[in-house]
Amino acid sequence: MKNKTTRFLITSLVAVALLCVCVFSFFGIHMGNQSARTINQVGTLYMSSMSQQISSHFESLIDVQMSQLKTLASTIPSDSVHSDPALQEELIAQAKARDFAYLGFYGNDGTLEMLYGSQVKVTDPQPFLSSLQEGQQKVAIGTNDLGEKVALLGWPSPHPPTREHNCAALVVGLPIEYVSDNLALEENSDRAYSYIIRKDGSFVIRTADAYRNSYFERVASEYEDVNGMTPEEYIQALSDTMAQGTDYSNEFTMHGERYHLYCTRLPYSEWYLITFMPYGTMDSVVRSFSQEWGTLTILSGAIILTALMLVFYKYFGLTRQQLREVEEARQAAEAARKDAEHANRAKSEFLSNMSHDIRTPMNAIVGMTAIATANMDNAEQVKNCLRKITLSSKHLLGLINDVLDMSKIESGKMTLNMDQVSLREVVEGIVSICQPQVKAKRQHFDVFIHDISTENVICDSVRLNQVLLNLLSNAIKFTPDGGEIHVALYEEDSPKGDGYVRIHIEVQDTGIGMSEEFKKHIFDSFAREDSQRVHRTEGTGLGMSITKYIVVDAMGGAIDMDSRQGQGTTFTVTLDLEKAQVMEEDMVLPNWNMLVVDDDRQLCESTVSALASIGITAEWTLDGESAVDMAVKRHRRGDEYQIILLDWKLPDMDGIATARRIRRELGDQVPILLISAYDWGEIEDEARAAGITGFISKPLFKSTLFNSLRQFAGLPESEAKGRPQEHHRDLTGRHILLAEDNELNWEIANELLSEKGLLLDWAENGQSCVEMFQQSAVGYYDAVLMDVRMPIMGGYEATQVIRTLERPDHDLPIIAMTADAFAEDVKRALDCGMNAHVAKPIDVDEVMRLLSKYIK
Amino acid sequence: MTLQECYAAMGGNYDEVIGRLRSEKLVQKFVLKFLNDGSYQLLLDSLAAGDREEAFRAAHTIKGVCANLGFDVLLASSEALTEALRDGRPPQPGEADLIARVEADYARTRQAIQAYQEGAGG
Repeated sequence: MKNKTTRFLITSLVAVALLCVCVFSFFGIHMGNQSARTINQVGTLYMSSMSQQISSHFESLIDVQMSQLKTLASTIPSDSVHSDPALQEELIAQAKARDFAYLGFYGNDGTLEMLYGSQVKVTDPQPFLSSLQEGQQKVAIGTNDLGEKVALLGWPSPHPPTREHNCAALVVGLPIEYVSDNLALEENSDRAYSYIIRKDGSFVIRTADAYRNSYFERVASEYEDVNGMTPEEYIQALSDTMAQGTDYSNEFTMHGERYHLYCTRLPYSEWYLITFMPYGTMDSVVRSFSQEWGTLTILSGAIILTALMLVFYKYFGLTRQQLREVEEARQAAEAARKDAEHANRAKSEFLSNMSHDIRTPMNAIVGMTAIATANMDNAEQVKNCLRKITLSSKHLLGLINDVLDMSKIESGKMTLNMDQVSLREVVEGIVSICQPQVKAKRQHFDVFIHDISTENVICDSVRLNQVLLNLLSNAIKFTPDGGEIHVALYEEDSPKGDGYVRIHIEVQDTGIGMSEEFKKHIFDSFAREDSQRVHRTEGTGLGMSITKYIVVDAMGGAIDMDSRQGQGTTFTVTLDLEKAQVMEEDMVLPNWNMLVVDDDRQLCESTVSALASIGITAEWTLDGESAVDMAVKRHRRGDEYQIILLDWKLPDMDGIATARRIRRELGDQVPILLISAYDWGEIEDEARAAGITGFISKPLFKSTLFNSLRQFAGLPESEAKGRPQEHHRDLTGRHILLAEDNELNWEIANELLSEKGLLLDWAENGQSCVEMFQQSAVGYYDAVLMDVRMPIMGGYEATQVIRTLERPDHDLPIIAMTADAFAEDVKRALDCGMNAHVAKPIDVDEVMRLLSKYIK
Repeated sequence: MTLQECYAAMGGNYDEVIGRLRSEKLVQKFVLKFLNDGSYQLLLDSLAAGDREEAFRAAHTIKGVCANLGFDVLLASSEALTEALRDGRPPQPGEADLIARVEADYARTRQAIQAYQEGAGG
């Protein structure tokens, strides 16, 4: 299409340009011709008038002389004889008086009898004589004895010739210069000049440069071109015209110059006046005009052509741009189409993968259920089946959760539930979740905490867990048995200000890594490395996509990846998190001396600095051997370490062996704690036997160290060691209305919640609940705990009624408390206007957490 | 007979309930009160009268009480019956079995508590 348009444009441009050149050439040539014709016409006109002028000048010149000659002739009496000496005297005297140079009688026999002046010979006597004999006055040329040319005028004799009277005419002569000078035949100011020639072309009077005897000879040798005729043709044409006695006009080229010529017959003679004028001056005016014309024509042609070119160029550019735009649009459309196709294909693949992935655990569930049904009596078998069913269900649930997350992300509905989060709890939780898998694959797992000073931050703990679990489970999944997996946490100042802290979480493995190609798509939805090696690996291919969304889009962080195929992968998550405003426990321990033994230098340094911050002076070393040496040296000085921290995995001599050596050397006084990222259940007995006092599990946060060590300072063990510490508000004295139809349940709830300082009132059903609330003072009740299934009026209806009451406190917190714990029950409770839902049996901590959350 | 033995006899989870209620005295108090709870009688009466909705509520209450007291065996059977009666479902084949199971489990639980009560009292 592009080429076609371009070709059309170029073709039409060339065509128009050619047309332009043709039209202007035509005009130029036409005008040139026109001007040539004009010059010709003007020339002819001018020449003819000039020739006429010369001709009439010649006539008047001859007339003057003829009238003198007539007077002279009239002195001759009619009966006289030429030989009469008196007459001759008389004639001579009169002729001399009239300045004639020659005088003589011209006899009928052609002899010229001179009366005075030297003998003259008539050059062309025949036509002269015959004209005279016919009684015509005539002019002719003769030559004197010196060879000079003489113009002869003849006056015919009035008498018929007789024997003694044989005279044809009285002839007088004048020097030829008299004629030629008077006629001014030489080149004048117009550079025009003339010759007088005879019919045969011989010169009568010629100008200096014409040295030949005949004009025709001159023509033949000098003329180059006569208006398209050869010189010979021209001579012929000129001769023919002279024979007819008419005028002739033409132009010719001589010595590279163009001339006009004009030929006319002279009176009294057989002569022809031929006048020449070079184009030169006259031509120059017309020529300059015509040149101007030509220049103008070419110029205007050039201007029009240029304008055309410009227009075409512009148009060409526009067309090209349009084409380019069209092309771009086409490419964009193409790209969009490809994207759509790709997305479509990915979704189709995803669906087929999903159906496969869903079918696998479903098959297990269905199959195991069938086996269990068939073996109802075999408790062991049923248990085994149930275990497998549980595993498959969990897997299935994970898949479905991923898909739900993805659909939330795609519809933009994923929101974060920001709350106070303890990084220590998050990492500890993840480590404990991953431990069984790590153990099953016999992978080397370690977790490093580098100088984390802010353990409590504001974040969505569920999503943060999800991110870390996804990264870690990928690391475990794609790292072969015996490989290494490291998790590390770093902290630095956040660019967002003092209220924030920047946390780097690094998950590193020595697994199969990713291909370059796959790296580009790792964060795409539905992506999964599709090659033989990972064919067995299950998953939705949504994990990384969700992870990226949570980290980057929802939490405003960054996720970096470094992966080499066959060497391993490192993911680094960077998050700027708000510091939690909690009263950090005042973590100070006695100024002990401690020894930290770990093969990782960074971990040692980080641990020592964490210990320093809680008031402990610690030394560190990288292996068991030097640890024993250091401990023994101190022992001998009597300056014992108060506590020794030993890593379980050490090169050469492991933690247990080292502990054994230390015990042998130092005895049982010094507590030795074993650090491990693994579940120590299996090694506990061996460790205890070797003299290990206790265990600290990685990650080694400051609080981990503090809580583990405080027992040795005689401080009570922290509650946080047990269940996660809840920061409940003190709700002592708050009034709670509890709707519950069963007395026993009411008593249990009352017992448990009263212990927390709450004051409870009992409503036996929904109706009485509503009434009690209506009758209470505004703001008396701080919350309602509502059973759902009650006689007379259920919990859902009661809630709806309370919400529609015209009281300022009709929006008080209402929490459903029911034995139903299905998702739809929860949803229904919320739909009815309740704030939250707890399932029976009553979990006091959960109820207190919700009450703290909702009570204003 | 100790409270633990009582729970073992009825198929309950003593550890769980003591973890929640935190006091053996409290558990004892509520366990003994269970004997006076009218929900079971209400269930039987409603079923006899054909009032399935009331029967559902009664079963549900039993389920809730059992959950609170950690009576796992009776909790399981009452929960199954609750689901069978939920939303006014028409009687399904096997419902009689469910009712029979609740009756049996209730009797077992009641017997265990009575035995404990006598032991404690005697």
